[in-house]
Amino acid sequence: MGITILPPVSDDIIPRHEDDSDDSMSVDSDEDVEMSGLRAPKRARIGNQTLSTGVVTPGEVVTDDPQWMRGHGTYMTPLSTSIIATVAVQSKRWKVDVAAPLLAQLPLSAINLPGGILRRRTSSDELQIRTFFSEGDLVVAEVQSVHQDGAASLHTRSLKYGKLRNGVFLAVTGTGGSGASSNSTKGGVGSNSLRPGAGSGMGGVVRSRRQVWTINTHNGGGEVDVILGVNGYIWISKHADGTAAASSATENVSITRMEEMVSTSIYSSQNDEIIPQTRREIARLAQCIQVLVQSGIRVDEETVMSAYEASLQVDLEVGDEDDEDEDSRHEGREYLEGAKSRRILELVV
Amino acid sequence: MSNQRQASSASQVPHLSPAELSYLYTSLSLPKTPIRPDGRSPTQFRPLTAETNILPGTNGSARIGFADGTQAIVGVKAEVEKTILSNETLASERGAGPEPTDQEGSTTAAVGGHGSWVQMSIEIPGFRDDDALPVFLSEMMRESLVGAVGTDENSDMTGGLKGRLVINKRWHWRLYIDVLLLSQPLAYPLPLLSLTTHLALLSTKLPKLKSQGEEDPFFDDDWAVAEYLYPRSSPSTGAKISSSSSRPSFVRPPVTLLVISVGENIIFDPNREEIAVADAVLAISITRDTQAGHLRLLSIRTVDPPSRLTQPGVPNSENVNMLGAVAPTDDIAVLNPVTGEEEVPGVWRPRRGGAKRSVISEMVKTVLKKGGVGEEVLEGLEGVEVS
Repeated sequence: MGITILPPVSDDIIPRHEDDSDDSMSVDSDEDVEMSGLRAPKRARIGNQTLSTGVVTPGEVVTDDPQWMRGHGTYMTPLSTSIIATVAVQSKRWKVDVAAPLLAQLPLSAINLPGGILRRRTSSDELQIRTFFSEGDLVVAEVQSVHQDGAASLHTRSLKYGKLRNGVFLAVTGTGGSGASSNSTKGGVGSNSLRPGAGSGMGGVVRSRRQVWTINTHNGGGEVDVILGVNGYIWISKHADGTAAASSATENVSITRMEEMVSTSIYSSQNDEIIPQTRREIARLAQCIQVLVQSGIRVDEETVMSAYEASLQVDLEVGDEDDEDEDSRHEGREYLEGAKSRRILELVV
Repeated sequence: MSNQRQASSASQVPHLSPAELSYLYTSLSLPKTPIRPDGRSPTQFRPLTAETNILPGTNGSARIGFADGTQAIVGVKAEVEKTILSNETLASERGAGPEPTDQEGSTTAAVGGHGSWVQMSIEIPGFRDDDALPVFLSEMMRESLVGAVGTDENSDMTGGLKGRLVINKRWHWRLYIDVLLLSQPLAYPLPLLSLTTHLALLSTKLPKLKSQGEEDPFFDDDWAVAEYLYPRSSPSTGAKISSSSSRPSFVRPPVTLLVISVGENIIFDPNREEIAVADAVLAISITRDTQAGHLRLLSIRTVDPPSRLTQPGVPNSENVNMLGAVAPTDDIAVLNPVTGEEEVPGVWRPRRGGAKRSVISEMVKTVLKKGGVGEEVLEGLEGVEVS
């Protein structure tokens, strides 16, 4: 069956109202998101108008509470966590989109230049800045410091940071819930109309112990790396072993130059050869994460792993059911939607 | 500049890095078994939600929501209008009295109908009414709508939709089709708008005519006896009937499908990322308009592939930061048999557009063949409860 047409699900916005305790001052609550949508009952109490819907039109009084400060309590990029960002602008530094209210900056001085640790930065490096990272590149970096205004300063001074390749990108809502911006820039999965219920703001990447890990995939997929950026950007790629990456590019390099070689490969935008089995498992992982996000389950190592195992099990179950027809069995069986995604969720939760 | 780009390629192309583009392209162009980022098979559509008759003030309406969150509403309104007769007819009328003796001039317009009787307006957020995209889209859809001519002699639909709008020699229906895209155009919005319009037209009813012949039109007040603009078999069983040869088939409004080619592979219902790496993007309009139930190809239009405007990747051998790190023999440019360009594997090259004839003919075949994608889509839409 090529096309499925479903009856509409009534997706009325039910204003979610978790707790009445006034926690608007805590740093982690995403006040700006709630002001615009989900806090309708509360807003009706602050302002003296009664509003039936969560929609605010221009000119409408949002609040007349003198205690409320613009921007206060909004999401700040958390310190010292790996994030994936899109390089946007440049002049002696890169401006990168980290799905935060302000663009973060990555100064030229905060990257490892190719050619070893003792390499001096020269003006020619400034002129050649595009050869390191260019517009549109995806970069994994670490937040070094956060300025007064909330703009973050990043660095890539480690071998595990640098340009991303050999994989796929996903944007989901991060901890801070700046899902709106990530959706508009990268077309994230948060905008799905088939999402059961109005569970927005629930899911997303959770800051946890491990944000980068390697999965030994089934079906001959080999090892796959998953990077969960704390800003909701996710990268799933073929596992690149540090020394293996270097040796693939360099066969006749002395051991003393090895580290140097590794650091140069972080500026490569050429993909390695990836076998179809690995690509298939990467696609499966990406879908598992989307299933989690669409149902408002937080995304961390544990949930991703169990969703992945569940999807394999669902595949086995489906495979048993229609064994008689070889062709239709393989037709789009990797697409996890509807019944399959519900089954996965049952197994995960 | 960025605005122009958006308007020309008609979709907000996501900013994908060269490595991502290369990964996607290679996955999608794997011979015979493309791996789509969401695991679908090449001809599989994302599930969509559909409902009809949602607007009480219209003759017919529909809403369709795609899985990526884009939604469209279409309302069809009909109004009775006096047919403007051509100059010769008027002249002969003046000479010979109220009844036209010379039938030639008026019959062409009155029997065949006129394309301008169908008026279509498309509203897309972020675009003005007179921007290129909405104007182009509406003309493209209107054209295939009025261009679809029924070849079935003994049905109401002689002359296609245009013929159906004729009441008598002096009066006709005028259709106003208002298309409203509710969300930002994430992908190229044409298939969504076309499917929604199709569904709205299927649900469109016109009041039953009580007057006869050349009388001034006079209609039945009872909405329950109103007739469908496009005759239907029976609304409740439409979904169950399979595409057997005994099935009576009716003229149907056209549907436009977006098809892309990546390498030798043909992919339906592409999402944004897939469109971003496509070699060629085609909008194929089809309709069903003969007794035998064959599908007819109405038009093929090429859409400017956004992959043209992407950032190229740098092969390791040309990367100044990797000088000395790569043996010169590592990266040998290989001739891509599909595009005829030299490429280093794993490095993204913006596409120049264009597709081989064999690929395009394969696309059309996949849509039109018996039990193919076109039939599946039309049947799926037919199955939507119209009440």
